[in-house]
Amino acid sequence: MKGSLLFILFTVVFVCCSCRNSSNKTTEFIFPEADSVPIGESEQLSAEAIEEISKNISSPVEIANLLQMMSVPFSPDYLASSIDPNKQTTAFDKAFTLGILGADLGYLNMYEKTGTSIDILSSIRKLAEGIRVGQFFDFEAIKRLSLNKSNLDSLLFLSIDSYTQIDKYLRDNARGQLSSLMIIGVWIEGQYLATQVVGDYPDPILKDRIGEQKIILNDLIMLANPYCSRDPEYNNLCGYLQEIKEKYRDVRITYTLGEPVSVEKEGGLVITQTESSKVDMTDEQLKEIIDATKKIRDKLILNN
Amino acid sequence: MKKYFITFILLLTAGLLIKAQSADLLVTNCVLNAGPNARYLKDFRVQLAKGSSDGELRYKAQMSLWKNTKYRFSLCNSEDSNGKLILTIKDNTNKIVLSSFDQKTGKTYPYVDFICNRSGIYQLNYDFIDGQQGSGVGVVSMVK
Repeated sequence: MKGSLLFILFTVVFVCCSCRNSSNKTTEFIFPEADSVPIGESEQLSAEAIEEISKNISSPVEIANLLQMMSVPFSPDYLASSIDPNKQTTAFDKAFTLGILGADLGYLNMYEKTGTSIDILSSIRKLAEGIRVGQFFDFEAIKRLSLNKSNLDSLLFLSIDSYTQIDKYLRDNARGQLSSLMIIGVWIEGQYLATQVVGDYPDPILKDRIGEQKIILNDLIMLANPYCSRDPEYNNLCGYLQEIKEKYRDVRITYTLGEPVSVEKEGGLVITQTESSKVDMTDEQLKEIIDATKKIRDKLILNN
Repeated sequence: MKKYFITFILLLTAGLLIKAQSADLLVTNCVLNAGPNARYLKDFRVQLAKGSSDGELRYKAQMSLWKNTKYRFSLCNSEDSNGKLILTIKDNTNKIVLSSFDQKTGKTYPYVDFICNRSGIYQLNYDFIDGQQGSGVGVVSMVK
């Protein structure tokens, strides 16, 4: 038994070292993808590791910024504004919807659509109070900044900081399952926004951004995994994330190596990365990702 | 005795509140000074005691950075810091892609703009020069 274990350990170490060496020799390599994240492994994640993972998830503000760069006009059709916070009965519904509306708030803030953001803020307030984290959201200050369009950066800071504090409080108080739901909600809504827009505006940069989500998909699954067997709601969510992951299976991300170039400018430093990533994703793969994202997002919202 | 104890508790609470407020003020100022075209994304509040100056930066955090995005990493120090806050960023192969500190000249930069062309998860490493004691904040923004 002991001999077999040593043999397995030796084989694993040998294979890992071989892979690492070969990737160093090449200038281009295929993005490594672990086929599955063992549930046992994610259950053992430390609080610090979970905190790290939660920071990895891209901000919906970045997606909104990308849409603005592409000159995509604002559309209320992408928002989940039909959600009635009074109908969210379980903590699962409240935390997940808090994430969905957080992403919508980021989109609204970036486009300075303050009239609509006041309605969403009211819903966020009810949901946050519903899971006893309302104290971290300075609604009055955010509302005031929303109405006064002069300071977008303060508005973004207060909104994002409120979510960061809620996330930390939930994790520190053994309610990590709600923090994970909120983060997954933010990601699904950001992904929904990007995949809906790309249908109307098939910009290659936006297509790449959708394909690149493969990089953080495993992290999202790791966040959900410890709670998959908690109850049917969590179990369904885990299934949905696996479904999205399946659509990304054949999307390839390759890297070209290069050294960064830096120049001093106006007292600061500007660094241009010459190393680059490239996404290989067919139109058919993209369509499957768009369809799966919409189906899952709608299911989760309508179930509420 | 009881009176002294209550006074001590009140002074301690007031001290902690003032410290928390000044930390918040530092973050707010750092966010607002990032520039008119910078849009706030995240902040990292760094508070470190004196450590060794072996070059290994002590405060570590991860963040995803995306291709076709220009990020600004601003570094702000509180007045009571002995050292200046510095930052290096490594990619997933542990290669340094950015440093706000030039080891050859000793020069530090208050902000670094990073034009990202490779999407991925990066490690942000903060410390104070030579492992000095200090508190500060690193703000990450997008530049339009």
